Amino acid sequence: MIDPMTILTIVLMASVTYMTRIGGYIFLRNRTLSPRARTVLESAPGCVLITVIAPNFVTGHPADIVALGVTVVAATRLSILPTVLVAIVSAGVLRSFLG
Amino acid sequence: MTDTNLTLDAPVERSSLSEGFRGLRDALPVMLGFVPFALVLGSQAAQKGLSPIEVPLMTGLNFAGGSEFAAVELWTSPPHVLLIVGITLLVNSRHFLMGAALAPLMRHLPKRKAFSALFFMCDESWAIGLADGRKTGSRLSLGYYMGAAISLYLTWVVFTGVGALAGPVLGDVRRFGFDMAFPAVFLVMLAGMWKGVSAARPWLVSLVVGAATYLLVPGAWYVPVGALSGVAAAYYWAKPS
Repeated sequence: MIDPMTILTIVLMASVTYMTRIGGYIFLRNRTLSPRARTVLESAPGCVLITVIAPNFVTGHPADIVALGVTVVAATRLSILPTVLVAIVSAGVLRSFLG
Repeated sequence: MTDTNLTLDAPVERSSLSEGFRGLRDALPVMLGFVPFALVLGSQAAQKGLSPIEVPLMTGLNFAGGSEFAAVELWTSPPHVLLIVGITLLVNSRHFLMGAALAPLMRHLPKRKAFSALFFMCDESWAIGLADGRKTGSRLSLGYYMGAAISLYLTWVVFTGVGALAGPVLGDVRRFGFDMAFPAVFLVMLAGMWKGVSAARPWLVSLVVGAATYLLVPGAWYVPVGALSGVAAAYYWAKPS
Protein backbone atom coordinates (compact mmCIF):
# COMPACT_ATOMS: atom_id res chain seq x y z
CA MET A 1 0.00 0.00 0.00
CA ILE A 2 2.84 2.41 0.86
CA ASP A 3 6.07 2.16 -1.12
CA PRO A 4 9.21 3.84 0.33
CA MET A 5 10.34 5.23 -3.05
CA THR A 6 6.86 6.63 -3.62
CA ILE A 7 6.87 8.30 -0.19
CA LEU A 8 10.34 9.73 -0.81
CA THR A 9 9.21 11.16 -4.15
CA ILE A 10 6.05 12.63 -2.63
CA VAL A 11 7.92 14.22 0.30
CA LEU A 12 10.54 15.75 -2.03
CA MET A 13 7.83 17.01 -4.40
CA ALA A 14 6.00 18.59 -1.47
CA SER A 15 9.23 20.18 -0.19
CA VAL A 16 10.15 21.88 -3.48
CA THR A 17 6.54 22.98 -3.95
CA TYR A 18 6.46 24.58 -0.50
CA MET A 19 9.78 26.29 -1.26
CA THR A 20 8.24 27.86 -4.39
CA ARG A 21 5.29 29.04 -2.27
CA ILE A 22 7.34 30.78 0.43
CA GLY A 23 10.25 31.70 -1.89
CA GLY A 24 8.46 34.56 -3.61
CA TYR A 25 7.26 35.93 -0.27
CA ILE A 26 10.72 35.75 1.32
CA PHE A 27 12.97 36.88 -1.53
CA LEU A 28 10.78 39.05 -3.75
CA ARG A 29 8.90 40.82 -0.97
CA ASN A 30 10.88 44.03 -1.21
CA ARG A 31 12.08 43.78 -4.77
CA THR A 32 10.78 44.46 -8.27
CA LEU A 33 11.31 41.66 -10.76
CA SER A 34 12.65 42.65 -14.19
CA PRO A 35 10.05 42.36 -16.97
CA ARG A 36 12.29 39.77 -18.61
CA ALA A 37 12.40 37.54 -15.52
CA ARG A 38 8.65 37.96 -15.14
CA THR A 39 7.98 36.88 -18.74
CA VAL A 40 10.20 33.82 -18.36
CA LEU A 41 8.54 32.77 -15.08
CA GLU A 42 5.11 33.25 -16.64
CA SER A 43 5.81 31.06 -19.65
CA ALA A 44 7.61 28.25 -17.77
CA PRO A 45 4.54 26.32 -16.53
CA GLY A 46 3.06 26.19 -20.06
CA CYS A 47 6.39 24.98 -21.46
CA VAL A 48 6.39 22.11 -18.98
CA LEU A 49 2.75 21.14 -19.59
CA ILE A 50 3.07 21.06 -23.39
CA THR A 51 6.34 19.10 -23.17
CA VAL A 52 4.81 16.41 -20.97
CA ILE A 53 2.09 15.72 -23.56
CA ALA A 54 4.40 16.19 -26.59
CA PRO A 55 4.64 12.39 -27.20
CA ASN A 56 0.88 12.34 -27.83
CA PHE A 57 1.45 14.51 -30.91
CA VAL A 58 3.86 12.02 -32.52
CA THR A 59 2.38 8.60 -31.66
CA GLY A 60 1.96 7.58 -35.29
CA HIS A 61 -1.52 6.15 -34.66
CA PRO A 62 -3.93 8.00 -36.98
CA ALA A 63 -6.83 7.58 -34.54
CA ASP A 64 -4.87 9.18 -31.70
CA ILE A 65 -3.71 12.10 -33.86
CA VAL A 66 -7.26 12.88 -35.03
CA ALA A 67 -8.63 12.52 -31.48
CA LEU A 68 -5.91 14.87 -30.22
CA GLY A 69 -6.85 17.42 -32.89
CA VAL A 70 -10.49 17.22 -31.82
CA THR A 71 -9.38 17.64 -28.19
CA VAL A 72 -7.27 20.73 -28.99
CA VAL A 73 -10.31 22.37 -30.59
CA ALA A 74 -12.52 21.35 -27.65
CA ALA A 75 -10.03 22.69 -25.09
CA THR A 76 -10.11 26.16 -26.65
CA ARG A 77 -13.90 26.33 -26.46
CA LEU A 78 -15.15 24.21 -23.57
CA SER A 79 -14.47 23.83 -19.85
CA ILE A 80 -12.66 20.92 -18.29
CA LEU A 81 -15.40 18.30 -17.97
CA PRO A 82 -16.90 18.52 -21.49
CA THR A 83 -13.39 18.64 -22.98
CA VAL A 84 -12.39 15.46 -21.16
CA LEU A 85 -15.59 13.74 -22.31
CA VAL A 86 -15.02 14.82 -25.93
CA ALA A 87 -11.44 13.54 -25.70
CA ILE A 88 -12.38 10.15 -24.26
CA VAL A 89 -15.30 9.54 -26.61
CA SER A 90 -13.45 10.67 -29.74
CA ALA A 91 -10.42 8.53 -28.88
CA GLY A 92 -12.58 5.52 -28.07
CA VAL A 93 -14.69 5.79 -31.22
CA LEU A 94 -11.81 6.62 -33.59
CA ARG A 95 -9.66 3.75 -32.28
CA SER A 96 -12.44 1.25 -32.90
CA PHE A 97 -12.72 2.46 -36.53
CA LEU A 98 -9.14 3.37 -37.45
CA GLY A 99 -7.29 0.95 -35.15
CA MET B 1 7.34 44.30 16.46
CA THR B 2 5.19 41.50 17.82
CA ASP B 3 3.03 43.92 19.77
CA THR B 4 2.14 46.07 16.77
CA ASN B 5 1.31 42.96 14.79
CA LEU B 6 -1.04 41.77 17.50
CA THR B 7 -2.92 45.04 17.68
CA LEU B 8 -3.17 45.22 13.91
CA ASP B 9 -4.42 41.64 13.84
CA ALA B 10 -7.13 42.04 16.44
CA PRO B 11 -10.05 43.33 14.31
CA VAL B 12 -9.38 40.67 11.66
CA GLU B 13 -9.22 37.90 14.25
CA ARG B 14 -12.52 38.79 15.90
CA SER B 15 -14.54 38.43 12.72
CA SER B 16 -12.51 35.52 11.32
CA LEU B 17 -15.39 33.01 11.46
CA SER B 18 -17.75 35.10 9.34
CA GLU B 19 -14.80 35.99 7.11
CA GLY B 20 -14.12 32.26 6.74
CA PHE B 21 -17.68 31.61 5.60
CA ARG B 22 -17.46 34.49 3.16
CA GLY B 23 -14.34 32.84 1.70
CA LEU B 24 -16.05 29.45 1.52
CA ARG B 25 -19.00 31.01 -0.34
CA ASP B 26 -16.76 32.68 -2.91
CA ALA B 27 -14.78 29.46 -3.40
CA LEU B 28 -17.85 27.26 -4.04
CA PRO B 29 -17.93 27.50 -7.86
CA VAL B 30 -14.19 26.76 -8.00
CA MET B 31 -14.67 23.77 -5.67
CA LEU B 32 -17.20 22.34 -8.14
CA GLY B 33 -14.66 22.88 -10.92
CA PHE B 34 -12.02 20.99 -8.91
CA VAL B 35 -14.07 17.79 -8.66
CA PRO B 36 -13.67 16.44 -12.22
CA PHE B 37 -9.95 17.35 -12.26
CA ALA B 38 -9.47 15.57 -8.94
CA LEU B 39 -11.35 12.44 -10.02
CA VAL B 40 -9.35 12.18 -13.25
CA LEU B 41 -6.05 12.67 -11.41
CA GLY B 42 -6.92 10.13 -8.70
CA SER B 43 -8.03 7.43 -11.12
CA GLN B 44 -5.02 7.95 -13.41
CA ALA B 45 -2.68 7.79 -10.40
CA ALA B 46 -4.32 4.51 -9.38
CA GLN B 47 -3.75 3.17 -12.92
CA LYS B 48 -0.05 3.97 -12.48
CA GLY B 49 0.06 1.89 -9.29
CA LEU B 50 -0.32 4.56 -6.61
CA SER B 51 -2.44 3.32 -3.71
CA PRO B 52 -5.58 5.05 -2.32
CA ILE B 53 -3.39 6.14 0.64
CA GLU B 54 -0.50 7.44 -1.44
CA VAL B 55 -2.72 9.53 -3.73
CA PRO B 56 -4.28 11.77 -1.04
CA LEU B 57 -0.85 11.87 0.63
CA MET B 58 0.60 13.36 -2.54
CA THR B 59 -2.27 15.77 -3.18
CA GLY B 60 -2.44 16.74 0.51
CA LEU B 61 1.28 17.42 1.02
CA ASN B 62 2.00 18.88 -2.41
CA PHE B 63 -1.39 20.47 -3.24
CA ALA B 64 -0.42 21.76 -6.69
CA GLY B 65 -2.54 20.14 -9.40
CA GLY B 66 -0.44 20.90 -12.47
CA SER B 67 2.67 19.30 -10.98
CA GLU B 68 0.65 16.32 -9.77
CA PHE B 69 -0.75 15.66 -13.24
CA ALA B 70 2.79 15.90 -14.65
CA ALA B 71 4.16 13.59 -11.93
CA VAL B 72 1.48 10.95 -12.50
CA GLU B 73 1.92 11.13 -16.28
CA LEU B 74 5.68 10.48 -15.82
CA TRP B 75 5.22 7.96 -13.00
CA THR B 76 7.00 4.61 -13.35
CA SER B 77 7.57 1.85 -10.84
CA PRO B 78 9.94 2.69 -9.19
CA PRO B 79 9.55 6.43 -9.96
CA HIS B 80 12.37 8.57 -11.43
CA VAL B 81 12.67 10.65 -8.27
CA LEU B 82 14.88 13.44 -9.65
CA LEU B 83 12.91 13.80 -12.87
CA ILE B 84 9.61 14.13 -11.03
CA VAL B 85 10.98 16.51 -8.40
CA GLY B 86 12.67 18.65 -11.09
CA ILE B 87 9.48 18.83 -13.14
CA THR B 88 7.51 19.70 -10.00
CA LEU B 89 9.87 22.62 -9.41
CA LEU B 90 9.51 23.82 -13.02
CA VAL B 91 5.71 23.57 -13.08
CA ASN B 92 5.40 25.32 -9.72
CA SER B 93 7.97 28.03 -10.40
CA ARG B 94 5.05 30.39 -11.01
CA HIS B 95 4.42 30.33 -7.23
CA PHE B 96 7.46 32.61 -6.82
CA LEU B 97 5.61 35.31 -8.74
CA MET B 98 2.35 34.67 -6.94
CA GLY B 99 3.96 34.85 -3.50
CA ALA B 100 5.74 38.04 -4.47
CA ALA B 101 2.44 39.60 -5.59
CA LEU B 102 0.72 38.57 -2.36
CA ALA B 103 3.53 39.70 -0.05
CA PRO B 104 2.62 43.43 0.10
CA LEU B 105 -0.87 42.46 1.26
CA MET B 106 0.57 40.26 4.03
CA ARG B 107 2.66 42.89 5.81
CA HIS B 108 0.22 42.90 8.77
CA LEU B 109 0.62 39.15 9.33
CA PRO B 110 3.29 37.63 11.59
CA LYS B 111 5.71 35.41 9.62
CA ARG B 112 4.38 32.22 11.19
CA LYS B 113 0.85 32.93 9.97
CA ALA B 114 2.11 34.01 6.56
CA PHE B 115 4.02 30.74 6.17
CA SER B 116 1.00 28.60 7.03
CA ALA B 117 -1.25 30.68 4.75
CA LEU B 118 1.21 30.21 1.88
CA PHE B 119 1.08 26.42 2.25
CA PHE B 120 -2.51 26.61 0.96
CA MET B 121 -1.73 29.01 -1.91
CA CYS B 122 -2.86 27.54 -5.23
CA ASP B 123 -3.72 29.47 -8.42
CA GLU B 124 -7.35 29.78 -7.37
CA SER B 125 -7.00 30.63 -3.66
CA TRP B 126 -4.31 33.15 -4.60
CA ALA B 127 -6.57 34.81 -7.16
CA ILE B 128 -9.55 34.87 -4.77
CA GLY B 129 -7.54 36.24 -1.83
CA LEU B 130 -5.68 38.81 -3.90
CA ALA B 131 -8.82 40.15 -5.59
CA ASP B 132 -10.59 40.50 -2.24
CA GLY B 133 -7.57 42.05 -0.53
CA ARG B 134 -7.18 44.67 -3.23
CA LYS B 135 -10.90 45.47 -3.12
CA THR B 136 -11.13 45.93 0.66
CA GLY B 137 -7.98 47.98 1.14
CA SER B 138 -4.48 46.74 0.50
CA ARG B 139 -4.41 43.89 3.00
CA LEU B 140 -5.31 40.25 2.85
CA SER B 141 -8.14 39.14 5.13
CA LEU B 142 -6.60 36.01 6.62
CA GLY B 143 -9.96 34.56 7.68
CA TYR B 144 -11.47 35.08 4.24
CA TYR B 145 -8.41 33.69 2.45
CA MET B 146 -8.15 30.64 4.71
CA GLY B 147 -11.90 29.97 4.38
CA ALA B 148 -11.52 29.83 0.60
CA ALA B 149 -8.13 28.07 0.56
CA ILE B 150 -9.01 25.30 3.02
CA SER B 151 -12.31 24.60 1.25
CA LEU B 152 -10.40 24.17 -1.99
CA TYR B 153 -7.74 22.08 -0.26
CA LEU B 154 -10.23 19.64 1.25
CA THR B 155 -12.12 19.32 -2.05
CA TRP B 156 -8.88 18.48 -3.83
CA VAL B 157 -7.60 15.93 -1.32
CA VAL B 158 -10.95 14.18 -0.79
CA PHE B 159 -11.85 13.86 -4.47
CA THR B 160 -8.39 12.75 -5.63
CA GLY B 161 -8.74 10.03 -2.96
CA VAL B 162 -12.20 9.11 -4.29
CA GLY B 163 -10.73 9.00 -7.81
CA ALA B 164 -7.98 6.64 -6.61
CA LEU B 165 -10.58 4.30 -5.09
CA ALA B 166 -12.81 4.40 -8.19
CA GLY B 167 -9.98 4.18 -10.75
CA PRO B 168 -9.25 0.42 -10.65
CA VAL B 169 -12.94 -0.34 -11.20
CA LEU B 170 -12.60 1.14 -14.70
CA GLY B 171 -9.89 -1.35 -15.73
CA ASP B 172 -7.53 -0.69 -18.66
CA VAL B 173 -8.16 2.94 -19.53
CA ARG B 174 -6.44 2.83 -22.92
CA ARG B 175 -9.00 0.42 -24.33
CA PHE B 176 -11.82 2.94 -23.96
CA GLY B 177 -9.95 6.12 -24.75
CA PHE B 178 -9.77 7.20 -21.09
CA ASP B 179 -6.03 7.87 -21.45
CA MET B 180 -6.92 10.82 -23.70
CA ALA B 181 -8.28 12.52 -20.54
CA PHE B 182 -4.71 13.47 -19.67
CA PRO B 183 -3.74 15.51 -22.71
CA ALA B 184 -7.27 16.96 -22.52
CA VAL B 185 -6.69 18.23 -18.97
CA PHE B 186 -3.30 19.63 -19.94
CA LEU B 187 -4.73 21.38 -22.99
CA VAL B 188 -7.49 22.98 -20.90
CA MET B 189 -4.87 24.21 -18.42
CA LEU B 190 -2.83 25.63 -21.32
CA ALA B 191 -5.92 27.33 -22.75
CA GLY B 192 -6.42 28.92 -19.32
CA MET B 193 -2.85 30.30 -19.42
CA TRP B 194 -3.21 31.60 -22.99
CA LYS B 195 -2.05 35.20 -23.36
CA GLY B 196 -1.80 35.50 -27.15
CA VAL B 197 0.27 33.95 -29.91
CA SER B 198 3.43 35.86 -29.09
CA ALA B 199 3.46 34.72 -25.45
CA ALA B 200 2.83 31.14 -26.59
CA ARG B 201 5.84 30.90 -28.92
CA PRO B 202 8.02 29.29 -26.21
CA TRP B 203 5.33 26.61 -25.82
CA LEU B 204 5.70 25.75 -29.51
CA VAL B 205 9.45 25.43 -29.05
CA SER B 206 8.85 23.08 -26.11
CA LEU B 207 6.38 21.02 -28.12
CA VAL B 208 8.67 20.60 -31.15
CA VAL B 209 11.88 19.99 -29.20
CA GLY B 210 10.08 17.73 -26.70
CA ALA B 211 8.48 15.63 -29.46
CA ALA B 212 11.78 15.35 -31.41
CA THR B 213 13.68 14.32 -28.27
CA TYR B 214 11.00 11.78 -27.43
CA LEU B 215 11.41 10.19 -30.88
CA LEU B 216 15.23 10.22 -30.84
CA VAL B 217 16.26 9.63 -27.23
CA PRO B 218 14.97 6.75 -25.10
CA GLY B 219 13.58 7.43 -21.61
CA ALA B 220 12.02 10.55 -20.17
CA TRP B 221 14.77 12.97 -21.29
CA TYR B 222 12.31 14.69 -23.57
CA VAL B 223 10.74 16.36 -20.51
CA PRO B 224 13.69 18.39 -19.16
CA VAL B 225 15.05 18.98 -22.70
CA GLY B 226 11.71 20.20 -24.10
CA ALA B 227 10.76 22.25 -21.03
CA LEU B 228 14.14 23.98 -20.73
CA SER B 229 14.26 24.71 -24.49
CA GLY B 230 10.98 26.57 -24.15
CA VAL B 231 12.20 28.48 -21.09
CA ALA B 232 15.44 29.39 -22.94
CA ALA B 233 13.36 30.61 -25.92
CA ALA B 234 11.20 32.70 -23.57
CA TYR B 235 14.35 34.25 -22.12
CA TYR B 236 15.72 34.98 -25.60
CA TRP B 237 12.48 36.54 -26.88
CA ALA B 238 11.85 38.58 -23.73
CA LYS B 239 14.74 40.96 -24.51
CA PRO B 240 15.15 43.88 -22.18
CA SER B 241 13.74 46.89 -24.00
